[in-house]
Amino acid sequence: MQHAESVSPPPDFSATKKKVVTIRQRLRPVYPFLVIMLIWQIAAMQAKGNLGQLFPTLDAIAYRAWELITGPLMTALKENPSLGFFDYLYYLYQSPLLWHTFHTAWRLPFSFVLGAIFGVIIGVIMGRFSFWESFFVPLIAVLLPIPALAWVPIAVIWFGLGSQTVIIVTTFATFLPIVMAVWTGVKTVNPVWIRAAQSMNANKMTIFRTVVVPGSLPMILSGFRIGLARAWRAGVGAEAFAGIKWGLSAGIFDAQEFLDIAFMMVALAVLGIFGYLLEKIFFQPIESRTVIKWGMMEAMGGQERKV
Amino acid sequence: MVAKIQIRNLRKVYDTPERRVHALENVNLDIQDGEFLCLVGLSGCGKTTLLNMLAGFVEITAGDILMDGKTLTEDYDKGVVFQEYALFPWRTARRNVEYGLEIRNVAPEERKRIALEHLRLVRLEEFADFYPHNLSGGMRQRVAVARALAFDPQVLLMDEPFGALDAQTREELQELTVDVWQKTKKTVVYVTHNLSEAVYLGNRIVVFIPRPGRIREVITVNIPRPRDPLSSAFIEIQREIDRLIRT
Ligand SMILES: Nc1ncnc2c1ncn2[C@@H]1O[C@H](COP(=O)(O)OP(=O)(O)OP(=O)(O)O)[C@@H](O)[C@H]1O
Ligand SMILES: [Mg+2]
Repeated sequence: MQHAESVSPPPDFSATKKKVVTIRQRLRPVYPFLVIMLIWQIAAMQAKGNLGQLFPTLDAIAYRAWELITGPLMTALKENPSLGFFDYLYYLYQSPLLWHTFHTAWRLPFSFVLGAIFGVIIGVIMGRFSFWESFFVPLIAVLLPIPALAWVPIAVIWFGLGSQTVIIVTTFATFLPIVMAVWTGVKTVNPVWIRAAQSMNANKMTIFRTVVVPGSLPMILSGFRIGLARAWRAGVGAEAFAGIKWGLSAGIFDAQEFLDIAFMMVALAVLGIFGYLLEKIFFQPIESRTVIKWGMMEAMGGQERKV
Repeated sequence: MVAKIQIRNLRKVYDTPERRVHALENVNLDIQDGEFLCLVGLSGCGKTTLLNMLAGFVEITAGDILMDGKTLTEDYDKGVVFQEYALFPWRTARRNVEYGLEIRNVAPEERKRIALEHLRLVRLEEFADFYPHNLSGGMRQRVAVARALAFDPQVLLMDEPFGALDAQTREELQELTVDVWQKTKKTVVYVTHNLSEAVYLGNRIVVFIPRPGRIREVITVNIPRPRDPLSSAFIEIQREIDRLIRT
């Protein structure tokens, strides 16, 4: 009786987690899209003439996407039908859609990483030195509620038209929520953990490395998540106004002039897929390997499983 | 034989902007090497304060604490078990137990061996690779005891370590604590509200009274172990302490 807890075999917690997911369950999130697409298609097929151009059918959009991706390649193939493998890659690379995507795809992560680095450094300094805390807190409190997009006109005047302005605005947009989260995270690490480490004679540096950093990870990760969302919005907005040629939303605004709805829809879809992939390949793996495994945070996107 | 810990004319005054709290006054106590000492008393009589001074967490206002005849330094080796769950959630049970050894630069292989040995001591060897959130409250406190002992500290300081647990788990852990103490022969200072727990565990019981916090009496418990909480000798001592606390 006394040792009941230790005599019974360890409960198999892995069993509850490795529940078999059937293909039908996996496909569930896809259904709403199928419904929307069906409604769209039926509606678009009723549209005639001008209206039809403003409201293209799915096959028209798909064709346009194909055209956008393979256009330069097809032109080149007409001239010279015997292209090598690397020529294929080269001409695909010339496609406007990929080219737009590529520009957005490097600017955004680059600015996010930059903003995150600044955010973590300043957040940690604020968390550890009360002088810098009282210096930065009022500034950030005032800046945080301002949508980063509102800075774009000023940023354009200061930094000129071009990628640099997009990067600066995006970095700034990322920085603010991350600095807040890191600061809060470092400040609110459970004091019992710190006292436990102190009781074993850990010095300040060791405590920071082995207790404060992992202990504030849930806050820091959620700061990164908000930072990325903000970066995404700001970056995409800034692209449109900073007078740049390449970038998905720059492309969308250009396409508006030609009423190229299909292009706009395709670019929007790419933006959506992009954000989704960042979540899937960046945040979810980090979280499930750390804070979720440690029981410090519930899994995000849990609704997928709950449905 | 000179006592392991000598406490001489100890006083503690907390000076906060709002008020001045006279937490401890004129505390004199000798703690013998290898003894199990319990501190009991009503809430606010300074038990935690004394334990925190022994741990080096709280500054001494006046008086001395001597360890092996020398003034206590902040960084001597002490194991502390807290009332709150203080395990690191990002480390498995074994890696939690290894923490103090890491601080002391013990080699990884050696660390692992010592950690498993101490998990066996608290009967949790097969849970070595579990993260704390997958362990019950009682198991977490057992890992905390293993962690506090793994680096072979001079004393083990426990502040109501099982206060948050249900009665049955608590009894189980009391029995385990005696077992661990008998095997490791550590000097243990154990704070509790629970008189039955104090009589079950302690060689001696220090009874505190409040305002200002001071020692009312030190009672020696000579009941052979394992002790039966329903025996008349046991109940007699418990009643005696209960009377002392309220006067
Ligand atoms: N950091 C502090 N600052 C000011 N006063 C304090 C501080 N810590 C404790 N006190 C006061 O000192 C007195 C003794 O507190 P202590 O925590 O040592 O009592 P205790 O015997 O452990 O009580 P309990 O059984 O409730 O844990 C109390 O009046 C408390 O309010
Ligand atoms: Mg207390």
